[in-house]
Amino acid sequence: MAVWFAVATFPFLWMFLISFRKAVDAFATPPKLFAPFTFDNFHHVWVEDAFWHFAINTTIVTAATMAVSLTIGCLAGYALARYEGKLGFWLLIAALVFRAMPHVVLLTAYRPAFFELGIWSRYETLIVVLVAINQPFTIWMLRAFFMGIPRDMDEAAMVDGCSRWGAFRRVVVPVMWPGIVTAGLFSFLLAYNDFIISSQLMNGDMTTMTAALGNYMGQKQSVTRLMHGVAGAVSVTIPIIILVYAFQKHIVSGLTAGAVKG
Amino acid sequence: MKRKSFLLFVAPSVVSMLLLIAMPLAGVVYLALHQSYVKTELVELTTEVPLFGGLKRQVTRTVPQPVLDENGRGVKVWKFVGADNIVQAAEVEGLDEILSGAREVTSLRGFISELHREITNVDFWSALEFTLLYTFGTTPFVLLIGLGLALGVDRASERLRGTMVFVSILPMIVTPVVSSLAVYWLFLDGAVIASLIEALGFGRFYFLADQLTIRTVIVAYGIWWAAPFAFIILYAGLQTVPRDPLEAAMIDGASAWQRLRYVVIPHLMPLLAVITVIHVMDAYRVFEPILVFGASVFANSVQYLTYYTLSYEDNANKAAAYAILTVIGVVILLIPVLVHTYRDQATRR
Repeated sequence: MAVWFAVATFPFLWMFLISFRKAVDAFATPPKLFAPFTFDNFHHVWVEDAFWHFAINTTIVTAATMAVSLTIGCLAGYALARYEGKLGFWLLIAALVFRAMPHVVLLTAYRPAFFELGIWSRYETLIVVLVAINQPFTIWMLRAFFMGIPRDMDEAAMVDGCSRWGAFRRVVVPVMWPGIVTAGLFSFLLAYNDFIISSQLMNGDMTTMTAALGNYMGQKQSVTRLMHGVAGAVSVTIPIIILVYAFQKHIVSGLTAGAVKG
Repeated sequence: MKRKSFLLFVAPSVVSMLLLIAMPLAGVVYLALHQSYVKTELVELTTEVPLFGGLKRQVTRTVPQPVLDENGRGVKVWKFVGADNIVQAAEVEGLDEILSGAREVTSLRGFISELHREITNVDFWSALEFTLLYTFGTTPFVLLIGLGLALGVDRASERLRGTMVFVSILPMIVTPVVSSLAVYWLFLDGAVIASLIEALGFGRFYFLADQLTIRTVIVAYGIWWAAPFAFIILYAGLQTVPRDPLEAAMIDGASAWQRLRYVVIPHLMPLLAVITVIHVMDAYRVFEPILVFGASVFANSVQYLTYYTLSYEDNANKAAAYAILTVIGVVILLIPVLVHTYRDQATRR
């Protein structure tokens, strides 16, 4: 156990540690445990490399992806939990196959199509793509949550004169918030962590934070540049750590709902 | 729920998946079956070449020029080539030669290793080889470590559990590019791990310069990245183990190991199956560590190969051919799962 905790955290702790160092100290041979402290790397990345700009892009894209993905995912998840026909089963199977698709396969088709349509490198494009890629997982998970809500609730509401839509909106959604928060967290992680699609669909000023890390990679980089990469990587990690720490309980319940019941 | 309202409710989600997942898949098939190039035509070009003293001479040459449309872009021609791209991508001809080629057979073992070496010289097959090695090499360890962690955390005191869960799932939730980088930086020549091994007296290691070590590091990364996922699911599953059989087993004098083996593990079996399926799907898509480690020479993956062809070689048709082969692989991996789900559903009715 203790070994695992050390192994699980060490790469990140080390990354945090060296991000506050000068290049000479960070990658010294042999490595040093103590070294002078500096904020230079973060300053360079955020101010001179305009990382704040990429951070804004990331915020717009992830927030919009979460909102749209949850809205349409809730509708579909609810319907799948309540409908008993064969169609629902086939839809879930199709979603499972879609979930397994390597993203680069889709990217191969997006490239020529989006160039033709002239919708390259725009927020809307990336958001819509990420929403679609998110859907299979989201509907499976939300379906599991909706199945946990007794049918009697919406049926009672419908007896009282609500339409199906009214029962969904006024009765079911209000008790679904924990499930929606969990699914939202996973949409966030997927949109935020995506590298392969974001780095290819967006360029220049439109790059997201995660994709911008690509600029610092490669073995021919100078060590100073590498240090900026370390600072960038740390900057990308911090929001996730904060969010996941805050919503930790939901992650456990979400993965359980998505996998155990599905 | 009525069929009509079902269709209305699922419509937005289904439309998004059809437009951006199903249609692109069809598009990839189309791309893979065609070859595209910019149309050229032979144009007689007359230029004036200055001679001496202000004299000029007209020279007419016939040169190939791209045909432009009214926007000044090259006109692309799409030619149907059937399975040519795919055959080329899989290098079927090369394989044929390898398989039928005459060679001195000294021993069966030597023959197989020779065959293996030649086949893995081909881009696609070597990428597939490592992808499968990664997928099936990580799976047992992911399950074992996940189970061990789940049992350990389950036994820990109530107060410690929260922190333990949080720390354990870090490798899974941090952006894969970042976590690959964090691990990569540890394994650089002369960096932390190499120095540690040297200090312990095992000699010098250059992890990134040798096929065996780089593959080991990437597989280890895969285990490290996926074990938290198995842990979380199994941990949640452990909370649902029924108390009665456990107590009955204890009264009957079953040891801790026997209780685990005959009560807990059978209860967790469906979860272990789910984890295996999801892990295989995710592992088959391995991409980030290959990119970050710059390891494609020693350890390529099918997804990275497609990505490389697409963005560096800028060859959409060839990339599409690789993509098709990748999809075929996914489908083959998924068939047992789909059949099982279908039977399961059929018996429930």
